Amino acid sequence: MTDEIKVVSGFYYTKEHEWAKPQEDGTVLVGIDDYAQGQLHEIVYVELPKVESDVVQGKSIGAVESVKAVSDMFSPISGKIIEVNQDLLDNPDKINKDPYGEGWIAKIQPTNLETDLAKLYDSEKYKTYLGTLKH
Amino acid sequence: MMELKKTHIYAYHLENGNIVDFGGYAMPIWYEGIIPEHHSVRNSCGIFDTSHMGRVWAEGPDVVKFLDYVVTNDASSLSDSKGLYTVMCKPDGGIIDDLIFYRVNNEKFLVVYNASNRKKDFEWLNKNSKGFKVKLTDVSDNVAMIALQGPSAVQVLQKVCQTDVNSIKRFHLAELNISEEDCLAARTGYTGEDGFEIFVIDSPLEKPEKALKIWNKLIENGAKPCGLGARDSLRLEAGLWLYGNEINEDTNPIEAGLKWTIKMNKNYFIGKKAIQQIIENGIQRNLVGLMLTERGIPRHGYEIFDGEKQIGIVTSGGMSPTLEAGIALGYVPPDYKKVGTEISVKIRNNFVKGKVVKHRPFYDESKYGWKRNK
Repeated sequence: MTDEIKVVSGFYYTKEHEWAKPQEDGTVLVGIDDYAQGQLHEIVYVELPKVESDVVQGKSIGAVESVKAVSDMFSPISGKIIEVNQDLLDNPDKINKDPYGEGWIAKIQPTNLETDLAKLYDSEKYKTYLGTLKH
Repeated sequence: MMELKKTHIYAYHLENGNIVDFGGYAMPIWYEGIIPEHHSVRNSCGIFDTSHMGRVWAEGPDVVKFLDYVVTNDASSLSDSKGLYTVMCKPDGGIIDDLIFYRVNNEKFLVVYNASNRKKDFEWLNKNSKGFKVKLTDVSDNVAMIALQGPSAVQVLQKVCQTDVNSIKRFHLAELNISEEDCLAARTGYTGEDGFEIFVIDSPLEKPEKALKIWNKLIENGAKPCGLGARDSLRLEAGLWLYGNEINEDTNPIEAGLKWTIKMNKNYFIGKKAIQQIIENGIQRNLVGLMLTERGIPRHGYEIFDGEKQIGIVTSGGMSPTLEAGIALGYVPPDYKKVGTEISVKIRNNFVKGKVVKHRPFYDESKYGWKRNK
């Protein structure tokens, strides 16, 4: 718990500790961040969103569960789910090990990217926000 | 916020653990993590601070008569040093608590009950001791309690004891000198594994050095510190009852699968008449074990379904680290209690398939637990 929380530049963050990372092909990867995985600890199950489903910024798209707790995952942006990280079904702890990389949860074709991103924190603002939280 | 109560081992938790409020006590939920701590107890040896539990000396010429009056099981059956698991009930058969007591001699018993019920139980015992020659002394704050659990608990404890720890038989209590301190040790626990519950006597909260010394010695000799998270996942795999989840004042021992703790041949005990009625009339629900056959984690409060019909509720659930599947305890009508019966558990918006399984314990007893093949 005392480890430094990793915040990566180029990612956009929500107050609920999800991230969104725009890709070169216009899609966006989403996941939960280092703070969220650290709070949950030992992630043992991920309820993935359904491919082809439409998602709305701020609405639940799935859940991440540790041994003791269940945490809803809220979509950081609006759009359509075009891919999910099936690997997490067998290896949910990849979110603990690599929350911004192999622990990605879904790929979204965004419908409103610029407006949505404007509502999120960039890495600098997110660091400031984390500083206001007790941990 | 009300300040949390601390146990004798608090200084260690503060430095090494992740502390949560557990029924008003500052207790560690985990140190390294629930899963590695869980595996350490199933595969080698773990150590738990259980000093938040209630510990009472019951003494006097009427102590056996008194206990037989207040609990369902048979206190008079015990010989010196033997322990017994039991429940105590209200007159309507609802469960006040589950507890273990040990007979030191025919006028002295050590009674151990749940942390969450410390106040209630002590009051209940006192209230019902009127007319008996018995004295009750709450020593919870003067006796630290440490559980050493796992298949190698014997070897770990032996390293800090001069006498043969294996001479303490299952469910027995004995005096034991542990790293030069006088203790009592019982061959009991809440994990399904072999192990000991150690009572560090004359160890007041304000002077926790003795308790901390034994705690640290056992860790130095191979015990892995475990928090309440692993304590809960281990007891669930063993199919053991948790007060507040499987049993409470609105559940009776028959539906909870605790009939074996009830001795109807006793002349009288509190709740006997109501329990007699319950046995005669039959029960409406049974506590069963469930295992999910699809991915998902059942949890306390989730609903159990037969198709689209809700038939029951999960009282405890989780991911079993040993079985690597979602397991649960829950209540269903008697028609569904047979092992193999297919059910589903509603997890958020999904109906996740599962079945009724043998649950005390959930695991294969030839591979895990205190009865395992050595």
